[in-house]
Amino acid sequence: MSAQLSSADLTLRYPELGTGPVPTDIYWQPEFYERELDAIFRRAWLCLGRVEEIPEPGDYLVKEIQTFDMSILVVKGKDAEIRAFHNVCQHRGNHVELKPNGNCQVFRCPFHGWAYGLDGKLAGVPDAEAFYDLRREEKGLLPIHLDIWEGFIFINLSEQPDATLEEFLGEHGRDLVGYPFHLGTSTFEYQGVVKCNWKCMVDSFCETYHVPVLHKNSVTDTLAGPNNPFGRLIDVRLKGPHRTSSVVGNMSYQPNPVQGLAFQYAPGPSITSGNIDESVTLPKGLNETRADNWSLDSTVFFPNLIMVIGSGMYFTHQMWPLGPNEVVWQMRGYLRAASNAAQRFGQENSLVELRDAVLEDGNTLERIQRSLNQGLIKEFIFHDHELALRHHYHTVIEWVERYESVR
Amino acid sequence: MARLPNAFSDLDRFVDEWVLADSSSRAAKRQESDYADIKEFYDAMLALAPDALRYLSTKQLGELDEAEERLLKLLLSLAELGPAVEWYQQAQVIDGFPAARFPIIRQLSDNVPQE
Ligand code: FES
Ligand SMILES: [Fe+2]
Repeated sequence: MSAQLSSADLTLRYPELGTGPVPTDIYWQPEFYERELDAIFRRAWLCLGRVEEIPEPGDYLVKEIQTFDMSILVVKGKDAEIRAFHNVCQHRGNHVELKPNGNCQVFRCPFHGWAYGLDGKLAGVPDAEAFYDLRREEKGLLPIHLDIWEGFIFINLSEQPDATLEEFLGEHGRDLVGYPFHLGTSTFEYQGVVKCNWKCMVDSFCETYHVPVLHKNSVTDTLAGPNNPFGRLIDVRLKGPHRTSSVVGNMSYQPNPVQGLAFQYAPGPSITSGNIDESVTLPKGLNETRADNWSLDSTVFFPNLIMVIGSGMYFTHQMWPLGPNEVVWQMRGYLRAASNAAQRFGQENSLVELRDAVLEDGNTLERIQRSLNQGLIKEFIFHDHELALRHHYHTVIEWVERYESVR
Repeated sequence: MARLPNAFSDLDRFVDEWVLADSSSRAAKRQESDYADIKEFYDAMLALAPDALRYLSTKQLGELDEAEERLLKLLLSLAELGPAVEWYQQAQVIDGFPAARFPIIRQLSDNVPQE
């Protein structure tokens, strides 16, 4: 028996958030959505991937930011610097690179053949003499602010970011430094579109009050278990606009037959196994209370990235809104490499169990959104262990109001 | 030529249906299968899976011969079907978001060595 549940009053640690209901208009209103785009998605640092995706000079990625219908080129230069540019040719606006990834020395626009170096500089113009006023130094690819934290590539779409990435991540980032993110080299990704507000989707991965009910067939026994019948969290920490929820693991969980074999042959403890890898030293910000019944932390990098981190693997959810009630949902898994052929089986179990468990979340989100759109749920009341959701609400309001007040 | 390593020839009857190209086709196959077929495959595989995994744990991805790779792919289908039997007792996730609306878009290879 080791249920170190901080049973009550997480919320009272943050008196500025109050304990009352919150109005739900920000979860469906088209006008508010437009304000969020300007105040949040055009201001905050947004994650685009990991450095391992472009290890060599000349490696590039083309990332589609569907929220803004924007195509972004991320490229590793000859100097090993990673840069981001709008994937937009400065002749007449065609996209310069059409493949989702690759390696090259120069980007050649497939319209009239203008060429750009890996540093974005205009490097070649066919029949240049026939232009009247070609100032090459002004016709490079348009740069986008880019910085890297622990191997994650972040961009910022504002002309001049209010804060550096380091400042933006602040204590939240500092407290997660040192986790072996780089070991998650075996990656997979799922993507879909869900008819719900982006904030509702973020929130659905930040509370475990629903685990014993919605996930009763799948992960209830591992993430809640007999000592934790209501799916309480171990802890919630709020750091600036970011937040981390520490989730219980049932250490006496007895796996099902196939699952048990998979756990035995996984390259690192599966997030649903109730096992932890003792050799991994967790940074301060993971399992911050050092509970001995911990399985994972669900940690939100405001606004749209959630990392779900266990000792032996991690995965991320990223949400790219398409409108007030529609969102692109990307889920990426980062598993350790298989050191023999049998471990490929353990990996497959990890991705299949993860996918099935999150498929259990999707329909509730679309039903909630219908209720919101119809005005049938005017306020949300939050459980003490839904503190992360309350914090999310207040953070969004704060960002929108602050941005509009200085404009 | 045997289609599977000798010790696992009992599983030969599943090769045509359950040796599949990748994670995506395994997921699709589960969606369209009858639960009775899933359960039959699951039971037969589970009986030999401990031995099969022990056998494959001495091999490296990228070094498997064709028979060994088929055996691995049968195990990967077993992984896909695990939750169908152990969580849901049906092919699909109960009240699940449609799997076709959340497809896998980047997969782990079944046979390329990992670093
Ligand atoms: S638009 Fe790119 S070369 Fe003309
Ligand atoms: Fe959930």
